[in-house]
Amino acid sequence: MTFALHTALFFRRKVLETLRQPVWIVTGLSTPLLYLALFEPLLRSVAGGAGLPRGQVLDVFVPGILALMAFGAGMGAGWVVIWELDSGVIERLRVTPASRFALLLGTVLRDVVMFAVPAVLVIAIAIGFGFSAHWGGLALMLVLLAGLTAACSAASSALGIGLKQIGSLAAVVTGVQLPLTLLSGILLPLSLGPRWLQVLGHLNPMYYAVEAARDLTAGTIATAAVGIGFGVTAAAAALALWWGTRSYHHAMT
Amino acid sequence: MPVTDLPSDAIRTSGLRKAFRIKNQSVEAVSGIDLTVAAGQIFGFLGPNGAGKTTTLRILTTLLPADAGEAFVAGADVRRRPQQVRRRIGYVGQLGGADASATGRENLLLQGRLYGMSAAQTARRTDELIEAFDLGAFADRTVRSYSGGQRRRLEVALGIMHRPPVLFLDEPTTGLDPQNRANLWDQLRELRGTGTTIFLTTHYLDEADQLSDRLAIIDHGRVIAEGTPAGLKQRYSGDMIDITPTLPPASLPSLEQDLASDPFVRGARAEGDRIRLSVTDPTRAMAAVFGLLAGRGIGIRAASLAQPSLDDVFLRETGRSLRDAGPPAGPGAATTAGEKVPA
Repeated sequence: MTFALHTALFFRRKVLETLRQPVWIVTGLSTPLLYLALFEPLLRSVAGGAGLPRGQVLDVFVPGILALMAFGAGMGAGWVVIWELDSGVIERLRVTPASRFALLLGTVLRDVVMFAVPAVLVIAIAIGFGFSAHWGGLALMLVLLAGLTAACSAASSALGIGLKQIGSLAAVVTGVQLPLTLLSGILLPLSLGPRWLQVLGHLNPMYYAVEAARDLTAGTIATAAVGIGFGVTAAAAALALWWGTRSYHHAMT
Repeated sequence: MPVTDLPSDAIRTSGLRKAFRIKNQSVEAVSGIDLTVAAGQIFGFLGPNGAGKTTTLRILTTLLPADAGEAFVAGADVRRRPQQVRRRIGYVGQLGGADASATGRENLLLQGRLYGMSAAQTARRTDELIEAFDLGAFADRTVRSYSGGQRRRLEVALGIMHRPPVLFLDEPTTGLDPQNRANLWDQLRELRGTGTTIFLTTHYLDEADQLSDRLAIIDHGRVIAEGTPAGLKQRYSGDMIDITPTLPPASLPSLEQDLASDPFVRGARAEGDRIRLSVTDPTRAMAAVFGLLAGRGIGIRAASLAQPSLDDVFLRETGRSLRDAGPPAGPGAATTAGEKVPA
């Protein structure tokens, strides 16, 4: 099937591109490890209370870190897209009969892998430090966060194609990144905060993914939060993939 | 009879139009272009930067939808059957399009597979192109390390990977040194020898003149002249006059403007120590010009009928010189800010 072949070809192309720039693999891994090494002790010392029980800091914190990794792995796609627009790569590929969805999906799948591989390593390391893992829940959580990466990656590509300039993309992504991550309770659960903060969080699609991720790592799979998390993430990913494909259809320098 | 039924035409357009919104203003880049390109030709599309060359090319290669008009490429309707058109054309864009983070070979292999060639076919064709375009020494290095000439050769190879009957090239020799330029011309002539139709845009007069079998001159989104290079020049052969006044070259531009306002003069262009005039009636124009110069006490060193160049054709049709019509031509000209707007 042509679509599957094209997706595989574009995925391979992106993987080779990544392997040739090992610096990204290193930073992809070092960022979460730095959070674990430098931020977790701080969290541990302020822990105590219902929302953040002492002794379970990692159980609350690791899903947040993984969600941050999922977000970060996806949001880089737009930069490369702009570079490919400027060097005419996308224009050349658009003149071939290649599927535009496959073109987008090649990058999205690479980003999912670039999330999943370091995520598994981080989980392994966290378990060594007392993170109590529930295997079925962890597996489901990785699927859920892979969906978050896919949504971010496709949206980032679409933004890159739409904005065309590295400077504009950087402004939008950094402008959106902080409120999105803060209002999803990545570092600390929003349930610790005042009511207005929780209300704002409910407007953020990422919030539901992080809430679901916390339930899943705790091994409570059949909860409303998990169902909503999967629903919202799937909807966001579908919307972003549609947006990204549509952008590739009209991509122009 | 629908135009698709004419198999000898590789490209046929009628009434092609495209406007862009720039700062809330609608600017028409292509204003009704009718073209017919016979199969097996090198067709040159000559015009200053911003004339609408690239926009036309992007419409023909399915990158951009036209606002109005029809276009058939390699027998397929660009608007209704873009996938068919894509399978039958090759494209070498102004920006190049080689993936710098991949090797030359990887670029070629991907291209072949995207056109539905089998892995074995693609590998064979890749070896063939590496050989033909002399890419062997660096085919397995990433494109990032290539020189400008090496990169351009790879990009042309990418464009003909699937042996398309029609090949489009946008300003293919911009930024190339004379040696690489001459080599590319030879390669394009060889391709024509194998029956490929080649449509190329250029703002270089000599390129249009020497390389194309036929050419269209475009200005402000319209075709202002079309024919063979020799035919176009012949058409205006009686209408060009060279005047060498007894003035230093620095003072020629103001004289050029005065002469251009004479009713028999359609356009004037200072070139070194002489002024070339495009005129409607050589005898009367000559008399008028002599009168004007004599009235100012300016002598005449030489006056003659001139062999027209393609620039003269442009001058005759627009009153401007192609050299002055756009931003300065030359290496890097294609990447100036002005070209960023699809033009």
